[in-house]
Amino acid sequence: MKRTLWPGVVVLALTVAACGSATRPASTPTGSAAAAPASKLVVWDWKSGEPYAKTYIEKAKADFAKKHPNVTVEFVPQPFEQYYTLLGAAMQTKTGPDVMLFNGGGQIRDRADSLLPLDEYVAEDKSRLAGWEAFAKDGKTYGAPVTLQGHPIYYNKALYEKAGITAPATTWDEFLANCDKLKKATGAACFALGNKEGIGPQFWLSGMGSGVLTPAEYDDWIAGKRDWKSPHVKKIFEMFKETGDKKLNNEGANSTAMFTDIFSVFNTGKAAHIIGLMSDIGHWKDFGEFIGPDKVGIMLAPVVTDGATPSLPYDGGIGYAVAKWTKDPKAAADLVRSLTTTDALSSFSAEAGAIASDTTISAPQDAPVVGEIVAQLKAGKPALHVAMDSKTIDLMGRLSQKLLSGSATVDEAVEELAASDQEN
Amino acid sequence: MSTRNTSPTVRPEISGRAAAGGTKERSRHGAARRRGRSERFAPYVLIAPAVLIIVALRLYPLALGVNFSFTGDGDANGTAVGFANYLELLDDPLFQTALGNVGLLVLLLPVAVAIPGLLATFIFLKVPGHRFFRSVYFFPAVLSPVIVGAIFNLMLAFDGPLNEFLGVIGLGPVDWLGDPGVAKFAVVGVQIWATFGMALVVFLAGFATLDASLLDAARVDGASLRQSIWHVIIPSLSQTIQFVFVTTMIGMLTSMFGLLYVMTSGGPEGSTYLPEYYIWIQQGQMNRPALASAASTVLFLIMLVVGLLQISVLRRAGRED
Repeated sequence: MKRTLWPGVVVLALTVAACGSATRPASTPTGSAAAAPASKLVVWDWKSGEPYAKTYIEKAKADFAKKHPNVTVEFVPQPFEQYYTLLGAAMQTKTGPDVMLFNGGGQIRDRADSLLPLDEYVAEDKSRLAGWEAFAKDGKTYGAPVTLQGHPIYYNKALYEKAGITAPATTWDEFLANCDKLKKATGAACFALGNKEGIGPQFWLSGMGSGVLTPAEYDDWIAGKRDWKSPHVKKIFEMFKETGDKKLNNEGANSTAMFTDIFSVFNTGKAAHIIGLMSDIGHWKDFGEFIGPDKVGIMLAPVVTDGATPSLPYDGGIGYAVAKWTKDPKAAADLVRSLTTTDALSSFSAEAGAIASDTTISAPQDAPVVGEIVAQLKAGKPALHVAMDSKTIDLMGRLSQKLLSGSATVDEAVEELAASDQEN
Repeated sequence: MSTRNTSPTVRPEISGRAAAGGTKERSRHGAARRRGRSERFAPYVLIAPAVLIIVALRLYPLALGVNFSFTGDGDANGTAVGFANYLELLDDPLFQTALGNVGLLVLLLPVAVAIPGLLATFIFLKVPGHRFFRSVYFFPAVLSPVIVGAIFNLMLAFDGPLNEFLGVIGLGPVDWLGDPGVAKFAVVGVQIWATFGMALVVFLAGFATLDASLLDAARVDGASLRQSIWHVIIPSLSQTIQFVFVTTMIGMLTSMFGLLYVMTSGGPEGSTYLPEYYIWIQQGQMNRPALASAASTVLFLIMLVVGLLQISVLRRAGRED
């Protein structure tokens, strides 16, 4: 019954939200620690409704009940497609949930002004969990990571064997030669690329970046000092265009959807490589179910620039944050902590097929490639695209489609991206 | 209360003022005045619910929305920024594309009207199987845009059945939803496919009022099919055609969001953006509610102009009656 009410509530919220803020500046502080303890905390996410998250949520709730027996917690699962639309509307009215799930990077940073800095509450968890940077802005932490998300380059070992390739390439030229061999021996495309929504270049930039940028350039990029004039940055986009020009991708890349369609291209052996994910979807577990867990391999970015040190790009994947207007910040922060205990996270990792943020639990061991991923975590670095703002990311999506179709040159694309990146 | 004593042509209030008499007389006139006042207010009381609903739920939010479009986003939330959002819109190539696509829809409107018109003509002329076609043509109109979008996503996929068919007959594959020059027309084509059934029904209703003797006369005079369509059917149906123009226009400008969302997500290269989709992206994905309000205001103004033009067209059509 409760669920059927939501559309109505949302419509109302949208109507009010679209109008309300003009009369209420954001700087007005709402809710203070001195207020009476909240009797109820509302959590919004897009995971708690899934069967695989059941044990995780139960464990987190039990842990929280021990600390705050008189506070009830309500989880409200929202559809992911609409999540940030609904959340944005709720935030405008400052009547949204107390605790909410976020993707790391732009999504949480763009909304940091509505969130409570958690540093004083989560200090104890800092060394146990990895991936904090994706939930931080200007030195303050706004969320606690639940999973790690990254972009390994997966390859199909069966196709490699058929083409007589014994080990993945370590340089770009060697990689291109392998693609030729794979095409001739198996007919498979080199890359499975789904760029309908323009997500392809995000994965590309992060998956390939560490082989092109020098370590110093890489670190500067993450720190916000992005040198768009660097020939190495341009080279990453040239390589992306090259995959289109040399027909290394599956056909119709610009009209193939990333999350619904492209993984099946890799799963059915029609492409030999895919820059995938580590958690949630499009990862080792999904691929393993189709091509066999022992046939999924990961490789590091092939080296293009002398001195580049390829590394696994990853960040905090998803994590919980606390709204600024919550009545009882301490309880809300404790709930976030309960959602990131070792016990709860190990359930989530095993059942959802995710690389959890907790470095003290062992990753699910049903696939050898997980060991390879975990082995790379230590030397891994934040993904390049996560450091960019969502407007520039959106622009990059459209430009990448132009690069593939030939209606924009690399120079034009990089110039537009530089302008957008510096503006934001 | 009786008004028998007063002249039937004079209202009670006036007669009351004219004849100031005894107490009985006065009280009667006082009651008449009260009744007159309540009669004066009655209309306002009666329309008050409607007016209040329109003002509170339509005009006030609209005013707030317009007001909101003059404020900033993010750090500037709540502070007045003048026309900055509107200038940003004018500057945004994506919004320009969206407006350009509105223009494209207007240009394609005659096609969207001609197709159901022509098919209705064939049904009216009782081509073989016309009963069957009548129901088949209407069928897509009952499907939701999301379902239609999903169906055509499969049909128009690069490795989908349509391209397979083209391959069999020796034509190269077309990237229906991946080529910016093609995708726009693919989406509009699907929109027309999905909605022309309704217009077809309206046309058939119009045909029902058509004077059959005119057609018979044309036939006797030896008019060809083209001549009878051009000289008999179209002039007789001018009002129906105008009505279908107006409703199709409204449909295309306000109900393509679902199709866009499912079929292209505004892509490829942002070529299938429409203002509605732009508003949704800015508000939901980019966290720019004030900019989205500005875009909504622009869309509102466009619809206002289009709506007023359409009303004047309809009025003119009505006057010809």
